[in-house]
Order: sequence, then structure tokens, then C-alpha cells
Amino acid sequence: MTKSIHPTLNRRTLLGAGAIALASSVTPALAQQKEVLIGAIFPLSGASAQVGVDAKHALETAADIINGNYNFDLPAGKGGGLAGLGGAKVKLVFADHQADPQKGRAEAERLITQDKVAAIVGSFHSAVAATISATTERYQVPYFSADNSSPSLNRRGLKYFFRAAAHDEMFTVAMFDFLDTMRKRGEKVNSVGLFHEDTIFGTDSSNAQRDTAQARGYNLAVDIKYRANSPSLTAEVQQLSSANPDVLMPSSYTTDGILLVKTMSELGYKPKAIVAQAAGFAEKSLFDAVGDKLDGLISRASFSLDLAQKRPVIGKVNEMFKARSGKDLNDNTSRQLMALLILADAIDRAKSVEGPAIREALAKTDIPGEKTIMPWTKVAFGEDGQNMNANPVLLQYLGGKFVTIFPESAAIAKPKWPMN
Amino acid sequence: MPCREHRLLRLRVKGLAQDNGLKTMTFQALAQIVVSGLLMGLIYALIAAGLSLIFGLMDVVNFAHGEFLMMAMYAMFGLVLALAVDPVLLMPIVAGLMFALGAIVYLGVVRHAMRAKVNAGMVQVFATFGLAIVLRGLAQLFFTPDFRSIPNTWLGGKTLNLGGIFLPWPQLFGGAVSIAAFVGLYLLISRTDFGRALAATREDAGAVALVGIDRNKVFTIGWGLGAGLVGLAGSVMAIFFYIHPDVGGPFALTAYVTVALGGFGSIFGALAAGVIIGLIEAITATILPTEMKSLGIYAAYLAVVFVRPRGLFGNI
Amino acid sequence: MSTQSIGIAAGLAQANDRFHAARRRQLMTLVVVVLVISVLPLLVKDVYLQNIMVLTLMYTALSQSWNILGGYCGQISLGHAIYFGIGAYTSTLLFTKFGVSPWFGMAAGGGIAALVALVLGYPFFRLKGHYFTIATIVVAEAALVLFLSWPYAGGALGIQLPAAADNWANLQFGRNKLPFIYTALALATITWLVTWKIEDSRWGYWWRAVKDNPEAAESLGVVIFNSKMAAAALSAFFVAVGGSFYAQFVAYIDPDSVLNFHFSLLFALPAVLGGIGTLWGPALGAIILIPLTEFTRSYAGGSGQGIDLIIYGALIMLIALWKPEGLIGFFVRQPKPLPASADEGAHS
Repeated sequence: MTKSIHPTLNRRTLLGAGAIALASSVTPALAQQKEVLIGAIFPLSGASAQVGVDAKHALETAADIINGNYNFDLPAGKGGGLAGLGGAKVKLVFADHQADPQKGRAEAERLITQDKVAAIVGSFHSAVAATISATTERYQVPYFSADNSSPSLNRRGLKYFFRAAAHDEMFTVAMFDFLDTMRKRGEKVNSVGLFHEDTIFGTDSSNAQRDTAQARGYNLAVDIKYRANSPSLTAEVQQLSSANPDVLMPSSYTTDGILLVKTMSELGYKPKAIVAQAAGFAEKSLFDAVGDKLDGLISRASFSLDLAQKRPVIGKVNEMFKARSGKDLNDNTSRQLMALLILADAIDRAKSVEGPAIREALAKTDIPGEKTIMPWTKVAFGEDGQNMNANPVLLQYLGGKFVTIFPESAAIAKPKWPMN
Repeated sequence: MPCREHRLLRLRVKGLAQDNGLKTMTFQALAQIVVSGLLMGLIYALIAAGLSLIFGLMDVVNFAHGEFLMMAMYAMFGLVLALAVDPVLLMPIVAGLMFALGAIVYLGVVRHAMRAKVNAGMVQVFATFGLAIVLRGLAQLFFTPDFRSIPNTWLGGKTLNLGGIFLPWPQLFGGAVSIAAFVGLYLLISRTDFGRALAATREDAGAVALVGIDRNKVFTIGWGLGAGLVGLAGSVMAIFFYIHPDVGGPFALTAYVTVALGGFGSIFGALAAGVIIGLIEAITATILPTEMKSLGIYAAYLAVVFVRPRGLFGNI
Repeated sequence: MSTQSIGIAAGLAQANDRFHAARRRQLMTLVVVVLVISVLPLLVKDVYLQNIMVLTLMYTALSQSWNILGGYCGQISLGHAIYFGIGAYTSTLLFTKFGVSPWFGMAAGGGIAALVALVLGYPFFRLKGHYFTIATIVVAEAALVLFLSWPYAGGALGIQLPAAADNWANLQFGRNKLPFIYTALALATITWLVTWKIEDSRWGYWWRAVKDNPEAAESLGVVIFNSKMAAAALSAFFVAVGGSFYAQFVAYIDPDSVLNFHFSLLFALPAVLGGIGTLWGPALGAIILIPLTEFTRSYAGGSGQGIDLIIYGALIMLIALWKPEGLIGFFVRQPKPLPASADEGAHS
């Protein structure tokens, strides 16, 4: 187990790491070895382990950017370490929550009390984020939500909860904005079909989609909830096929996404168009498996590699990530990477590793969109800790890669519509 | 959730197409449901076959059954990657490797668990449960938790269209393998010396020692055969399903219910129960909201055992 | 039985004395253990370790409750997650919807769970062995599916316990783990005492009879059936109380975090590893198993390579194979199956 070496000494660290603290105060050269510990809680085993392991690569890439001597025009991207803390390096402590809210909470407590982390990043599963963020609130340590997409998380009046990326409702609005423009262009987009898993993600996503569809006058042709990680989706696909909506909107993770596409192809169902709530439809594994059947698929996203043409730094960051993971940055990994950069920037500005000071700095965050790797207009948190300027984009999978098709300002290609 | 009424209304028109003639489409939709359920059922039966064999032989529930399936799928994945040969041709190799794994698991784990004097059943359950966790960990260590699948196979993604009823080739092939496996198993048990030894050992493990049958040898081969059958199931699944360390879980539960529904100790029961479960699942999904399709299976199991406490064809 | 008893009357009296002396010793051991555990959290102030203490005591209580039906009565249920879920949801729904104190919710949850156990037990106890076990699994899975689609109970979104004042009435204590440790300790002690009491009761004798020799026990007929029902209700009651406790402790529940199949396994596992059907088995099993679960995940799980799973699984396997009768075998000098006459004498 690692004990942290802190630039600021409080009673606990003095007791816990007295000898090391003494050493660092005696030898000035050791000042450069100061570390800021940041906890990262993700699913590192179990059904979602792939997301967690990818997140590990993304966060380690971000730590490289922060600690290494780069000159990236990104938060905490210049110089080595955090200037505000005398060049202190960011060190990540990873923990596995196994998709269990109780375990997520226990790990958060461990990281805060034993490792004395300055902040926690997490956690993919929104249910686990609920217990982690309740714990960090009690210990006055910021919880930075990298990739939780449940809109309920920022509605609990927590002061130490921050999320730079969009939540499901914001994503859904973007998806329907796109459908509206297709309608205006004279395409037949009257009915939508929802296909979502029976989890917190599937429920949040489909609730937002159902409400938005009704509010904007789309007919709900079919609304299928399915058991996540089903052995078979044949019956579900038959129902989709017989309803044949103008737009199929899946909210599925990789497993069910792969099975859905395979089953659709087996049963000869070619949806007119697919507009996906990312998740599985942003994962390399899915396109490796069934990409040939998905030409023309549209997915909302937090991230687009196209943006690298305008902002070369994105390409460089992507190369760094790819060297670690063998994958391009995607919807999840880009959010995780960006989360650590924004958090490090706040710690740098706070010039402190104390939770309340970091919270204050986070609340004052104002990073223009051009200084991120995301298509966002800027990063600035509301009272509830949510960044409302995290504009999503829509990507279309064309010729084996994703291109941005919406909004117009970011688009580099015209959407292919309908898909089949 | 706000549109519950809407959902319920919709349920009644499920399976009916909107634009074509209602009658023909209803028949087609119905036929598709039945055929899909049947094919899935044969695959459930194939997955359950090994479990049923091991259980019938020695009253041991293998809690690592889902992980055996996962191992078989990874074995196929690795072999395809290494040899660039189609999965159909590699099936015997995977089955052979799984036979070895089954034999090793018996000799290394189960044999020792069987020595327990009190509650041997529970000791076996948790020894194999521990094994299941180890196998998942090993899969994650060696293959990473990425989702894998085998692209560009002879059968993968190809479908037979029979007048609007779609029969995916991988599942058709799986169904054929399943039936062949059960026929083979039947012949093995009823026509060979080994089969007689198997049956005798099942009847009375103590007495067979007197007539010169090595109980341990029979059990070892029994576990090998059981795992080899899972190897066949995994080989078929690898063609049309994704592969990752946790893939076995949902199938294992269905396999336990299948074996119990068919009746412990009855190989034919497993086949019949697999098909019944496949059909019930498909039909439930058209009557109830789809996320509740497993309720049909559970209800069927309870209904059967309340009437017949030893399952459909069980003798234990 | 009576002829047998008369034949060994002297031996029986002697065995009876020994039996009751052993029971008094058990009670003394309990007092010592409870005292030691009460002092422990005052010395160990690390929150993470205290969290493990809560979980260990909670699983001791849960496994002890499972042991009443599974160990003493020999009815192996792997569906007790349904009672855990009922307890968690009852107290949480009563608190969030009606502001009812979680203590009352706990009792209500226990009562409902006991009722459900009786309703299920009526048809289930006709099933034998694995047919019974799979029926319990199936019912718990069905409950999971239903709760996922029950909007009133939050569906898949689950229920977050609203923060109320930190006090005993609300069973919420902010950062402080001590009250949870003592509540869990109380729960574990109560389930132990109930089990201890049962061991010497008529029910206890019947259940042992049922377990050891189902055919002979059939002569007892209706009596046995009723005692099984009682065991199921008692077992379900305490597991549900544990479920309410868990909901208060974690302050968030959703179907997958209280009704999942792996909880059913976790209730049985400590009893099996420690010594199924024994008084101290569940506690012993939980003391080994729960810290093992937590430490392997916390200190080997950060790599994402599955190493924690390999260690955890291998240790479970090794314990199961190394001490098939349970870890209790290290402490009890006499092997469990006592010489036939004395054993049966004491029990009949």
C-alpha cells in the first residue's frame, strides 16, 4: 500500500508518514517528488471490466500529460507537474468497485482515509456514483464524475459533485435536435423505436427519449425494455422489425449491442436509421464484431476525432492514448481523460490538496472549449456541479470510421439518411 | 414508466405487421417465434447436456459450468486466431481440450471435495464456485476484459430465408450439433461397455468396485465427457455470440433450470427441457414485456416440479 | 426409540450432562467474543477496517440465519436474496414514502419476509435436494426481474435514502461507523442466541432428525413439515432484518445491489466454509471470507487484470477442499459424527 507524501502537512499525514515528511522537509531536492494522489474508482472486474481497464489507460494518459514536460494547450497540459504546488506530480490510485454501490463506497472511504487522496474520479456506473458522491460529500473531498450519465446525480444538492460532460437528457436533446433538422430537410422521420436495457442507464436514457419524443411530436412506434446481458434478443428484434420505426434508438452496452446487431442481421431486419445513445455503440469491440453491418449508424458522442483537424493537440493526445491501449479515444475514454485534466487544473489553481480549497477552485473553473479535447463550448460548473456547456455531437459510422455530422458547426460530412 | 397504458395496448398488436396482410404475417411472425425458440432451445439443451451428464453420474452440481462454456469460447477464439481455420473444423480440438480440462478439474478439485463427510454437496458447490471465480480471473488476465468475437466465419452472419422465416445458419448448425450430441450420448450410454460402467457407477458407486470397475476412472472420463460437451456448445456459441470473461453467467442459470426441469439423471430430459425452455422464453417475450421473458421459464419450472417433484423425466 | 433409550439410560444421562455443560461453555465463549468485538472498534479507528467489521458481523448474522434453514434443517436455499431484498425495500420504502422509522421498517420487513417464506415453503418443502435449491434460485431471480420493473420502488433507478438527522432513530450516522458495528454485533448475537436456543429445543431435534435421516423422519409427518415451515420463517425474518440494516448502512439500494444471486451465495458461503449446521461455523466463515473478499479487491483489484479474482477464488477452493467439514474442525476436538449411541441418545 502506498502512503502519500503531501506538500501540505496536516495532523493525519504527520502521524501517518512522519518519517517521510521529515525527509522531504530536510532535503529540498526531494520537493520535486511531491505527489498529489487522486483516487480512481472504476469497474475493474466483472461484466463491465473492459470499460474500467480502458478508463485506467485514459487516466494514465492524462497523468502523463500533467506530469510530463509537454506543451499542450490543455488544462494542466503545460510544463511538468502542477506549478501551483511546486511541480508536484499527480499519482493515481485505482480501485475496483465491481459495479456494487457498497463496494464503491468502501473504496472511496479507503482512498480518502488511508491514501488521503485529494479527489476521486469515477465511476462509469451511475448507481455506484450515487454512493461514492454521498461519501465524498461527507468527507468534503470532490467527486469528479467522468462518465456517469444519469441526470439525477447532480440533482441531489451535493456541493462536492462535479461533472464536465453531458448527462442523458442533454444527449437526448441533441439527438432530437438532429432529428428535427432531418425533418425540416424533408426526410420522413415520424416514428421512433426505443430499445433499452433494464438498468439505471437504460431507464434514464429511455425516460428522456420518451418524454422528448412526445414533446416534439414523434410517434413512439415501439418501446422495448430488455434484460441486460440476455442470452438471446430474437424476440425483441422481431418486435422491432414488425414495428419498423423510422429511427431506432438503442441504449445498450457492448454485449447487448453486438447481440442486437447480429440478431437484426440474422432476422433480416434492416432498420431505416439508428441513432444510438453511445455506450456500446462507441466501443471498438462492437465495431470489430459487427461494424460491417453498421454503415450509416449514428451515435451521439462527447467526442469526435475529426476535431483533430482543427485542434492538432487532439491528435497528439489520441496517439499517446493509443500507444497505451491500442485503441482510439472514444466517448468514454475521452471523458475520463478530460476529467483528470480539469481536476488537475483546479488543484493547480487551488494550490492545495485540501478538499474545500479544490472545491472552490473547481467551482470557479472557466476553461474555453478550444482548450479541451472535446467539442464543448466551455467548462464552467453550475450550482449543481453540472457543466451545461458540454455540447454533444452526433457521429456517423461511414466507411469504417466515425465522422461528425451534427451540429452543422462541427460537421465535416453530410449525414447519410436513411441508413438502409 | 409513464407510458404503461400505451405499453399494454401495444402488447396486443405485437407480432402483427402494420402494412401487409394481417393473416399471413401473423402466421409468419408466429412461425418465426416458434422456430427461433426451438433453435435457441436446442442450444440451451446442448449447454445443459454436460451438466446433466455429470450430475446424473455422481450427484455433483458443477457451479463452474458457465465458466467452462466461457473457456471453450476463448479456446475457439484463440485457436482461430492462431491457426486461421474455420471454427467448424476446430470443434473437435476444442472439445478435446475441454475433455482434458474436465478430467483435470475432477482429479484436482472435485475428487477431493467428494471426500467431505458432512454436506459433501455444499462443499462441491463451493469448491466449483471458487474454481469459477479463478477461471474468470484467468480469462481476464490472459485475454483482457475486451469483448471478442470471431469475424468472417463460414456460417457467421448467414441466414436461410424460408419464405419469410429466417433461420440463421450458426443456430441451425448449433441445433444439428445438439441433436447429434444427444444421439451420440444415448448410443454411448446404451451401447458401449463404458456406458454400462457409467450407469452401474451411477446406481451404486460402492458396489462397482467389487466387479472391478475403477470408480475414479469412470468419474474422470465422465467429467471429461461433460466438459467436452460444453466444448461443443462453446464452439457453436463462439460463432454467433460475443466472448468475454463473464459471458457464462446467464447461460449457466438457464442450464441449471434446464437440467432440473428435465429431471436430474435423465439425458433425454435435458434435451426435452432445453427445447421447452427455448419455446417458452420466445412465447413469453411476445405476451409479457420482453424484459420479463425469463419469468416464463421460472414459472414453467415451478409448475412442473409442483406436479412432478422429480422433473419431467427424472429418476433421482 | 424408547427401547433404545432405556437400554442406554445411564449413558444417556451422562451424555445429557455433557451436552448441557458444553452448551454453557458455548454461552461463556459468546460473552467473551462479544466483549472482545465490542472493544475492537475502539482500538481500530481506521474507517476502512471498521467498514469490514460491519460487513463481517452483518454476514455473520445473515449466514447464521441462513444456517437455521440450510444447516440445521438441511434445506439448502440459494434464493435467500429475496428475503434480503424484501427487508431492504420494506424499510426503505416505508421511510422514504411514509417517514416510518427504519427500526419499525426492519420489523415489518422481517414480518413480510417470514410470511413470504411460509407461502413459498408450503409448496417448496415437497421438493427434495437440488429441485428445492433450484426452486429457491428461480423465485429470487423472478423477484429481481419484478423489482426492476416496479416503478413505485424506483425500478432500476433504485432508491437513495434521503439524508436525515444522524441519530439512532433514523439509523443514520454520517461518517461514524461505530453505531453500525454495534447494531450488526447485536444482530449477530441475537441470531446466535436464537440458534443456540433452537439447538436444545424440540425443533432442533426434529431438524437434525430430518437432516440425518429424511425417511425415518417421515414418520413424524406433519410435525416435521410444520417445523420446516417455522425454520424457513425464522430464517427469512432475520435475513430480512439484515437487509434493512444493509439498506441503512449503504443508504442506496437498487434491485441488483440487494436481490442479486451472489447475495444468496454469500449467505451460504460463510456457513459452509466455517462449518454448516454448527453454532460457530457462520461466524468463523465470515471472519475469514469477508476480510478476504475486501482485501483482495482493494489491494489486488486495482490492476484490472483479474488477479484479485484468482486469489479470492483459489482461497475459497482451498478452504473448501482442505477442511471439507468447515474451519470449525480446527476448534472442535471431537469429530462431528459422535460415537453413535451417545450421539443419538443425546438427541432423542
